[in-house]
Amino acid sequence: QNKITGKVTTSENGSELPGVSVSVKGSTRGTTTNANGVFTINASPSETLVFTFVGFKSTSVKVGKLGTINVQLDLDISELNEVVVVGYGTQSKKVITGAVTSVSGKQIASQPVQSFDQGLQGRVSGVNITTPNGVLNNAPVIRVRGTSSINQSSSPLIVIDGMPINSGDVSAGGYTVNNPLGDINPSDIESVEILKDASATAIYGSRAAAGVMLVTTKKGKEGKAKLTYDTWVGSTQAFRKFKMLDAQQFMDIKNEAAKNAGLANQFFPSYNADGSLVNTNWYDYVYQTGVSQSHNLSLNGGNKDTKYSFSVGYTDQDGMIKKNTFSRMTGRMNVSHKLNDFITIGSNITYANSFNQSPNTGTTGAFSTGGLGRLPLVLAPNIAPYNADGSYNINKAGNNMGLGNNLQGPGGYYNPLPDLDLSKFTSENAHLIANVFADVKLYKGLVFRTSYGMDNTQVEDISFSNPVHGEGGGSNGIATNYYTSIKQWNWQNYLTYDFGVGKNNATIVVGTEAQKFTVNRWGATRNNVSDPFFTSFQGSFVNNVAGGSNYQTQNGLLSYFGRLNYDYDKKYIASFTLRRDGYSAYATGNKWGNFPGASLGWRLSEEEFWKGSSLANTVNELKLRSSWGRVGNTGVSDFASLSLFSSGLYGSSPTWVFAQAGNPNLRWEQSTKLDLGLSYGLFNDRITGEINYYKNDISDLVLAEPQAPSRGVPNNSINTNVGSMVNKGWEFTLNALVLEKKGFSWNANFNISTNSNEVLALANNNADIIAQTGGLESSNIVRVGYPVGSIFVVETRGVNPKNGQRIFVNAAGKEVQYSHPGKWTYVADGTTAPSITGSDRKVWGTAFPTFFGGLDNTFKYKSFDLGVFLQFSGGNYIYNGTKAGLRDQRAWNNHTDILNRWQKEGDITNIPRLVFGDNISNGSSTPISENVEKGDFIRMRNISLGYTFKKGLLEKAKISSARLYAQVQNAFIITGYTGADPEISTNRNSNIAPGVDRNSTPQARTYTVGLSVSF
Amino acid sequence: EKELLEVAPITSLSDLDAFATPDRVLAQVNGLYSSTKNGQLYGGRYYVYNDVRGEEFLNVTSNGVTALQTWNHTNNSSSNEPTNMWNAAYLAINRANLFAEGLDKNAGVVDATLATQYKAEARFLRALIYYALVNTYAQPYTKDNGASLGVPLRLIGEVGSGNNNLKRSTVAEVYTQILADLNYAEQNLPSTYSTALLNTTRAHKNSAIAMKVRVNLTIGKWADVVTESNKIVSTSAPFKASTGVANALQASVASVFAAPYTTVESIFSFPMGDNDLPGTQNGLASYYLPLIGIGDFSLNPAGILASSAFSTTDARRVNFVRNDFASDLGRFRLTKYPTGPVHKDFVPVLRYAEVLLNLAEAKARLGGASVDASALALLNAVRGRSTAAYTAADFANGTALVNAILTERRIEFLGEGFRSIDLQRNNLPLPAKANIAAIPVTSPAYIWPIPQSEINVNKDCVPNP
Repeated sequence: QNKITGKVTTSENGSELPGVSVSVKGSTRGTTTNANGVFTINASPSETLVFTFVGFKSTSVKVGKLGTINVQLDLDISELNEVVVVGYGTQSKKVITGAVTSVSGKQIASQPVQSFDQGLQGRVSGVNITTPNGVLNNAPVIRVRGTSSINQSSSPLIVIDGMPINSGDVSAGGYTVNNPLGDINPSDIESVEILKDASATAIYGSRAAAGVMLVTTKKGKEGKAKLTYDTWVGSTQAFRKFKMLDAQQFMDIKNEAAKNAGLANQFFPSYNADGSLVNTNWYDYVYQTGVSQSHNLSLNGGNKDTKYSFSVGYTDQDGMIKKNTFSRMTGRMNVSHKLNDFITIGSNITYANSFNQSPNTGTTGAFSTGGLGRLPLVLAPNIAPYNADGSYNINKAGNNMGLGNNLQGPGGYYNPLPDLDLSKFTSENAHLIANVFADVKLYKGLVFRTSYGMDNTQVEDISFSNPVHGEGGGSNGIATNYYTSIKQWNWQNYLTYDFGVGKNNATIVVGTEAQKFTVNRWGATRNNVSDPFFTSFQGSFVNNVAGGSNYQTQNGLLSYFGRLNYDYDKKYIASFTLRRDGYSAYATGNKWGNFPGASLGWRLSEEEFWKGSSLANTVNELKLRSSWGRVGNTGVSDFASLSLFSSGLYGSSPTWVFAQAGNPNLRWEQSTKLDLGLSYGLFNDRITGEINYYKNDISDLVLAEPQAPSRGVPNNSINTNVGSMVNKGWEFTLNALVLEKKGFSWNANFNISTNSNEVLALANNNADIIAQTGGLESSNIVRVGYPVGSIFVVETRGVNPKNGQRIFVNAAGKEVQYSHPGKWTYVADGTTAPSITGSDRKVWGTAFPTFFGGLDNTFKYKSFDLGVFLQFSGGNYIYNGTKAGLRDQRAWNNHTDILNRWQKEGDITNIPRLVFGDNISNGSSTPISENVEKGDFIRMRNISLGYTFKKGLLEKAKISSARLYAQVQNAFIITGYTGADPEISTNRNSNIAPGVDRNSTPQARTYTVGLSVSF
Repeated sequence: EKELLEVAPITSLSDLDAFATPDRVLAQVNGLYSSTKNGQLYGGRYYVYNDVRGEEFLNVTSNGVTALQTWNHTNNSSSNEPTNMWNAAYLAINRANLFAEGLDKNAGVVDATLATQYKAEARFLRALIYYALVNTYAQPYTKDNGASLGVPLRLIGEVGSGNNNLKRSTVAEVYTQILADLNYAEQNLPSTYSTALLNTTRAHKNSAIAMKVRVNLTIGKWADVVTESNKIVSTSAPFKASTGVANALQASVASVFAAPYTTVESIFSFPMGDNDLPGTQNGLASYYLPLIGIGDFSLNPAGILASSAFSTTDARRVNFVRNDFASDLGRFRLTKYPTGPVHKDFVPVLRYAEVLLNLAEAKARLGGASVDASALALLNAVRGRSTAAYTAADFANGTALVNAILTERRIEFLGEGFRSIDLQRNNLPLPAKANIAAIPVTSPAYIWPIPQSEINVNKDCVPNP
């Protein structure tokens, strides 16, 4: 044997690769490269060295007579070779037969987002992710292959390092939103796998109807300790604000409307001390340029027995709205240790402290009169925010904005400044996610794993509404604090047996899982502050009231599961899964459900006839697969099947009242999924991708079956399994190395998906379900034969050029026109017509995109890299309710498009004659089709330019690699939509009222510069 | 498995355990009261609706969720206000029905006498609610002797699915049921309770009698008004109840509307407490008071304030009307319910003053053209404690006396939820106010629509025109 030395570098830019595993084929000898990529190993000339490294294609070199072997490794762009994480294990992507998409942590890590799920937007076929608005740490709306329920959750199950965790807003329901997934540092994530079809998800049984997201955090790698520091700083601004009327325009327009209403002028100028006209742009007082920063330090390394990955992270982000902040400190420790040849133990622990602060942005109440998304659109521009003496311009008695010299004001709206200056709304998490596990090797290929995990979130919600004005103005100050403890433990025990006989390979997994989830929330409200000095709950108040959101609940899940994966020669593949789940929320006799899944695959490209044909030169990989299975939804409330009494007070005496009519026959919602797909690799995997078709039949939907209100059943409804719905669609992905020449390379990843949803059956003989926005406006409907939550409005046909009146179409199909106040006439003959009401609405179109996807390009030239990530979506309609407000003829400000109003006979315009007080013609009282717009868009979600420093320079500073980059998130958007943003979802995660834009804040654009250094 | 899957709620009680102990049964009784005083019903809004449909109040805030559409008569069958009140009313009725049935099924948890008393309380409350329903969603009894469509009479407890269809009983049938419930209540309620608070906030015999007086007045059965009143009104001044709780007028009307709200004048009231409030935008003080309430409605200067019968020195004007609130543009405000920003004023349901004026009216009407002396004495008992009493010479005839009593009701019960019922039982239009036109008795807006949510599911329920 000779001593062989050498250096391993990347073929991409020649940089040295530390930690590459170098082994002698057919022996147990092996080593890894040091920090400079250098290795030394003993080998005889007849032997072959194998170089393997994650993310690179492995290379073999015959030793021969060489004493020095320098190797360049090629980046492995082929996803087909990866190992992917699946439920309770991992699997080679080559033989996977379920629909699974992987996203590497790198694609998420440096984005200026609060939670990793926001970073997945546009990157996964079949998964539509929407940012509901620009408020920080708002949970994105995630739909895996469409909306999967009507009343229950349509958000996927989130699993971190094998442990299911709690997701969804954890704030106590104040103004501050709080997504617990924001407690996970995106920089800690190695990969995210999204399981979409029944074959992949059936192992999660009753929790998998909306798909499963498996998050894997970074684990230690064998080799010298590697220290990495990542940082970025950025600035955030509102994006696409409206152009509102200025003071002069406002007075002209509103006085014209007053004149048309038979009134004298109502709006008069106010002047500043220097004699200039008061001209307030309320946006200036509400929005800001927010500054954000992020720092992450990680240490990663290990030896053959012990591997570790530690990280600490800190981020502090200011939103585009004043007083909207998010900060997070995280610590993560992932350790695994091999005790002996049989037992490996380990632990993954992350602790996060995250802090959300937000004023009332309107995110949690679309029609809130204090919502900052709304106030700049309503408040008069000819009124100053402050009086001449510096005090707030407020009307103390009415607790609303001062009128200035105007005779009319917009009713109960607040001056936003006192709440911005003096109130405080926060939601803070102490979040521990931890698991410990032990792998015991019982026999060759047979491993027993036991894993116990906990997901504990402690949330402190603090709300103080100042006594001066605004939310607390009417109560002389309100303080509401809540403490919420959300605890989940999960214990899994399972056996994995990997074995092969000849060309037959099989993996069997069998196991059990038990899980318990509890929530305890308690708090109180205090109002009427004893002295304005007090600014917190702990101060002195006159009145104390028990918190209305006090809450205590629990549920339990017990499961048995098994899976068999089989392949013959990696050519013919089959997989069978069965899960049996018992869930506490169902009545005795209905607690248990069985969830089977099966899939078949055929790697055509492994067949000799294929390999022998000329086609194989082009198509080197082709796999056909299909799957079928059934999964469930546990989204039903914890005690939904029971008839319950709740307690309160009558004066000071305790009470019990009948409060819930249960249904002991309540069953699981079921989702039966069919998936057909093919995976391909072309030109030696230079181009890879997948094509999928899916059909998802959802049955036994739990719906509130309406009861005659006179029956007096609480909530006038009883939950019943009555509905059904179907989702269908196609998914295409394409990953290509488009160009590679003289140091220049261009990689592109493209995905596009389609989805169509149809409601098939509903409760009470298919009675429509009308969904509300903010409890006031109904512009969505669930109706059999249409997609869930379709837009539902009264048709309008522009403005009658003769008289400037809006033309509406009533339920009978007749055109009627409206003259404020209260005069409805037929367009045809001018005779009196019945007024238009909600019953004249019709289904206008789907609110859910019918196609969506992304195009990610990475260009590299020598040390420079350029990333261009486009996201697109379309085919849907948006009900732009904000526009109704922007054109409302009460004393609200208007969008400058109001200047195109009808003024004289013959004017062709879409804006009717202005009449003061008119809240009907432009859709404020009943939603109209004038305010429905197409939602198609292409968004430059992320564009980044990076520079990787040359080796030579760095070595002197003992730095192994360094990259500097600048990026813009949300650089621009191409859309015909006239609202702030076509992605806005005022009703956030609602299944039945999507696609509504009502007084929400716009989206933000963020510029960042960042640096990533490894030592 | 059991520990994980047999999880019981911690803060709610299974229906199976609701009758387990005497304390729980009592808590259910209190639950029936609290259901009846839901903010959409007797806890606040029902009163506001009855008052603002009349002419005494002007809308200030134009807020669409605080009785604006009720004030300007634009509610339709899908509007929130008719829908929410209907829902609250029938929820309370169902709870009362279920409770009465549960008592029978769980006989022995409380002794038979107490069980009967509890049932009587449930039926008293059910009568109170049906009275509110039939006066809101149906034509007045006096229009056609109750031949019009009333509301569905739900008299048995409802739990599972089904049984949605039930036709509307006639107005007369509803009143028959109300009186039957009140007769049962009168027989089985206790004469008194142990404390003044309970005597005001739980129904006793006099409460049932006082309610029967009101019901008979509403349907124009003057003789029955007299018969029932005589059980609790002495034949001559000072008028007082001689049996049961010693209900009588207070010397000062202001004392009735001040803490602790438990004088013997308050025959029955709904209590409020720091932890039992009417709810946001439900409290009476929230509607009428600026600064410490939202102040949605001010008093109409052209309403009863303009009446010569309502003198500026009248104790009821001095105590309950103000126009000097800061930044309120000199609006007249009703300050009968003064507490805020947390609105803890008790809601008066039956006051002794009402019994007296009800009796006065019945006697005056029975008196025909002549001026009935005992009616005048009863009127003066109420009027005289607050302002100068009338003399017989003030009235040309019996009709003038009846009109004076009706006017006195507007003064005495301002903001107590009487106005639209008083107009409707006399088959009078709802008067014009500010820029709102009068609603004639023939208008569909004269009564509220049956909620669309009822029509959708209850196929036997006929909508109002």
